[in-house]
Parts: sequence; C-alpha cells; structure tokens
Amino acid sequence: MLLQERIYSLTLTIVLVSVGAAIAFPQTFPTFGNLSQVLLNLSIDTIVAVGMMLLLISGVFDLSVGSVVAFSGGIAAYVMIVLGWPVPLALLAALLGAGLVGIINGYLIAYQGINPMIQTLAMMGIVRGGALLISGTGIQNLPYWFNAIGQAKLLGLQMPVWYMLLTVAVFAFLGNRSVFFRRYYYIGGNERAADLSGIRVQRMKLYGFLITSLLAGMAGILLASRLGTALPTAGRGLELRVITAVILGGASLSGGQGKIVGALLGALFMGLVSNVMILARVSGYWQEIILGLILISAIWGDMLLRRRAT
Amino acid sequence: MKSYLFITLLLLTSACELPQRNATQTDAIRTIEAGAETDGRPEEYVMVTTAVTMPMYVHHDQAAFRRWGKQRGVNVSILGPAEWDVPAQINTIEEVIGTRPSGLLINGTDPAIAPVINKAVAAGIPTVVYDSDIVNSKRHAFLGTDWYQIGQMQGEEMVRLIGGKGKIAYMGILGLANMEAGFQGLLDVVKKYPGIEVVGKYDDKANVEEAARITSDLLAAHPDLAGLCGFDSNSGPGIGLAVREAGKVGKVKITTVDWEPEHLQLVKAGVIQMLAGQKRELFTWYGAQFLYDMVHQTNRLTDQAGARGLTNVPATVNTGLLRITRENVDSFMK
Repeated sequence: MLLQERIYSLTLTIVLVSVGAAIAFPQTFPTFGNLSQVLLNLSIDTIVAVGMMLLLISGVFDLSVGSVVAFSGGIAAYVMIVLGWPVPLALLAALLGAGLVGIINGYLIAYQGINPMIQTLAMMGIVRGGALLISGTGIQNLPYWFNAIGQAKLLGLQMPVWYMLLTVAVFAFLGNRSVFFRRYYYIGGNERAADLSGIRVQRMKLYGFLITSLLAGMAGILLASRLGTALPTAGRGLELRVITAVILGGASLSGGQGKIVGALLGALFMGLVSNVMILARVSGYWQEIILGLILISAIWGDMLLRRRAT
Repeated sequence: MKSYLFITLLLLTSACELPQRNATQTDAIRTIEAGAETDGRPEEYVMVTTAVTMPMYVHHDQAAFRRWGKQRGVNVSILGPAEWDVPAQINTIEEVIGTRPSGLLINGTDPAIAPVINKAVAAGIPTVVYDSDIVNSKRHAFLGTDWYQIGQMQGEEMVRLIGGKGKIAYMGILGLANMEAGFQGLLDVVKKYPGIEVVGKYDDKANVEEAARITSDLLAAHPDLAGLCGFDSNSGPGIGLAVREAGKVGKVKITTVDWEPEHLQLVKAGVIQMLAGQKRELFTWYGAQFLYDMVHQTNRLTDQAGARGLTNVPATVNTGLLRITRENVDSFMK
C-alpha cells in the first residue's frame, strides 16, 4: 500500500494541511509572501536535517549540530571582523571548524567506540562554549558580500531556500544513485553484516559525522549571513527539532530506513504547522504540545498501517 | 549545449536581486494613518517574544498585555518560541508581518532582530520594542530598563554589603547582549574597589539547578566567598538554594534580578539581600497603549501626523528599577 511509505503519507498530509490552511486563512496563507517565508524559515533546519537523515539511516545521530551552527557562524564573523580576512577565507575557516568537529565526533565514535549520544552531547557543550568565546554577545555589522550570501534573492526567493533545495537535490540524487551513500543503508540495517561484506564501517561512520558537521557549518554561515549577525545562542534546540523532522520524514532511530527527501518533507510539515499556528494566533505554549502530539501520531499511525498490512 | 548553459546563467543572474547596501536601513517607510491599518479587520495587537513560557514573562509582561487588551476591548495575541531562540523569534515576526496586525510589541532580545523590526516599520506596522532597546533599529518606541544600570545597582549594593572587600562571582545567560551590558555595569562599579576580587563569570543557562551547581562548586573552591550576583530570573533561586544547603545564609551576600514569589520569599528569609526589579508590567501595558495611540493617532502632533519620521508617542521610556530588600519586601508580596 502506497500510504505505508512515509514519503507519500507525509506528502498527502502536507497537501491536506495546506488546503485546510488556505480555506481557513484565504487572505494570509496562500500568498507568495507567506509561503516563501515558510520556506526561508525552514531552510536552515532542512540543510542540517539532510545530514541528520544520513546519520539516522546508518543508525546514529548527532546532538552537536545546533552548537556547530553557532560555532561556524561565529568563526566566519570573527575572522572577518576581528582578523580582517576576506569573505571566501572566512567561509573556508568556518567550514574547516565545523569539519573538525565532525572528524573528532566520527573518530571517537567509530574508532574508539564512544557512544554517539554521549560523545555528541559532550561535543554540544564544548562547541557551544567555543561559540560563546568567539562571538561574545554576538558579532554584528558583517561585510556586505557575506550578508549577500543569505539575503540576496533569486526569482523572489531568498538564497537560503535555493541552497536548501540544491542540498536536498544533490544528496537525494547521490542517495539513490551512488554506491557510497547506499552503504549507509547496509550499515544501518545490519552493521555486522555490512562489515563482513567488506564495507569499511568505521570510515563510513566518520564520513557521516563529517558530512553532517559540514552541512551544519554551512547552515551556520547561512544563518549568520541572513541575520547579518553571528549569534552565540543560534541553533539552541535545533538538534531536537531536526531529529523530529527526520523521524517524521521516515527515519528510524534503529537505522536502515529513510530517504533524503524525507528530511525536506519532515521540516516542511513542521514549518507549515508552525506557520498555521502563527496565523491562527496559537500561543507558544501549545506549539510544542501540538508538534509532540503530531510526532507520536505519525509514528503510531505508521505502526498501525504496517500491522494491518501484515 | 554551451549556449543553453550561457542563457540559463544569464537568466539566473538577471533574476538575482542583491540586498540593499545597508541592510539595517529601509528606504520606504509607510506612513501610519488613523484607522488605516486595520482595513476593516478586527483590531489586533501582537506581542512576539522568545521563551514565551518563562514564568517571569507570563506573570508580568503577558498578564499586563492581556489585561490591557481586555480593558481596551481589542484582540491581543502572544506568539514566539517556547525556548530562548532568537532566530525562531525572528521567524515568527517575519510570519506575523504578513498577517498585518494593527501593532507589534516586540521583546528586544538581541540586536540581531533589528532588520526584521525595520521590515515591520517599513510595512507600516506600528512597532514598539520593550525590555531592552534595539538601538540599531527603526522601532517607533522603546520602553524598558537599562541593563547596564541593573549591573551598576547590583554592584553598588554588593560593595555596601561586603564592605568594599572580598571575593565575588556573578552569573546569568552568557552571550545575551542585555545581560552582558549588566555584567559590565557590575564590573565598572567593583573595579573601583581594589579589595574586591572577581573570581568568576558563569553561564547558569537560565536554569535553577545549574545556578545551584555553580554556586556549590564556587563555595567549595572559595570558602571565603563574600558575595554572588545573579542576572537572570533563575539565578537567584539557584544561588539561594546552594547557599542555604551550605549553611551560609547571611554570610554570603546575594543580589539578583526579578521579583517572582520565590525571589521575594528568599529576601524575606534573609537569603537574598537585594533584588533589582524591573517594572515589567509597565513595559507591555504602556507599550500596547503606545501602539494604540499610533494606530488611532490620538494626540496628533501636527495636521500631517502620519508624516515620515513623526511618531506621536515618546521614543524612549526608561521605566526605572525597583530596589527590594528585607525592609520593603512585604509591600511586594501578595
């Protein structure tokens, strides 16, 4: 049954929510301004979610991504404003910083056997501390061309939306076509069997953390350039939002499941729900409760559909 | 193939729109005309904050805003993320602007929200900032307190309490612009006293347990610690808890911010010596009233009241601070 595939059931849900919102709020929901804003607001989370999906497919996750978002934006801002480096070098430095976090996570988890949750939880604190040391109260007045990366528009959509779509497209294509990315499914499905079949599991895990950190680094650069400020508090709570989006998009904490496009759909669904709640003036108290209920309902619904099928 | 690629690149380049040179400036500011902003829709004022569930915000800011709405007979809504998340607050403001509320009351959490405030102003929405000023924005008005003064007030009281000598430490949410200004105010006062040694600045993450843990560690490392200063709502209860558990009530002097019931109880019990309290109800009550006055153009300054750059409300209001000690705490307890 088609609806047993999370991608299709989630797409249907997104369509239903959109139609319902368009009927309930005809003046404010189905407008280019509102929908482009929704896409912009979910772009940072989605870019990180692509990496998280890759990790969850292989059966692990990374709690340090939110801190890496603040860290990379902070590095870029620091080297531009304090050290006076040009924009391209600042981008490189930010990505190197983010990549280093990924390599440390990957090495200690894959080669030294530290539990991923403990390792990335510890790294979350370390990197957040680093971001606070670098950015202080936040670094403002970033160079024009750096801000242009996140503030320019193409066809009326702000650039982070295009970077998000490009990231999803590239990783979805590679996830379907390349042997390299297919290996993550084997690792997530049965790590021991993958190892016996000749897949270098440790190295693949290290690459997974590296890719995820690099994507979080890219998201951090985009957030800082969009805001025109590097905030040390940026990305707080992002890790759980992203994991929620990825689980909604079809991943499983036990690994071996999920598609990259699911990361986009999960984030899109959460973005739409959040937008509808803002349009309906639902208080922030309820937003968390409603998102939690939606997550439980999605997983429960899935289980019921599968049980019925078997 | 190459020509297709060239044409595609050309089209994309021509469809690309770069941001304005000064991103915090907006060239088009729509004028505010009486009654024009509601367009026949029910009059609605929206507050956007972050950490919308924080008890201090709920009991003071939001309660006063709701009371104001009820008294005025207009709709009020309170939106924003449940946790402290400035980018999420920005996203919420962006989405609210599209719904064109009558007025926007924004918690000035960080200078990074300036561009979105400017966007609201450019869209012709009366916009008032409260709590901490966003000086680099084009907000119509600001009501709040000067966090540097909060730090100074704590510093002066601490100097008095410890007799100008001894070890002190302070804590709050590191990295927040307003709190860092408060830290600076404290340091600028205590640096005049060479007998005072500042042994540390700590991030309690607005968490009572974390503030208590930091305090316990500090008391273990510095048994002669003379005083502690707190800068977020949860600093005081956390510091108080640890000082109590260590049996050092009265020996370690405590000054902190806010006056929630638990803070007042700690003052009454002699655990906390002084609270630097904000008049938060005034931020949102008068902030909302300013919005109303802008929308209805009460107190027109000229016949062209909606003219560019003219607002009919005070640009900046410092609501002042409350000094709460054991002597006057009873008058604040309900």
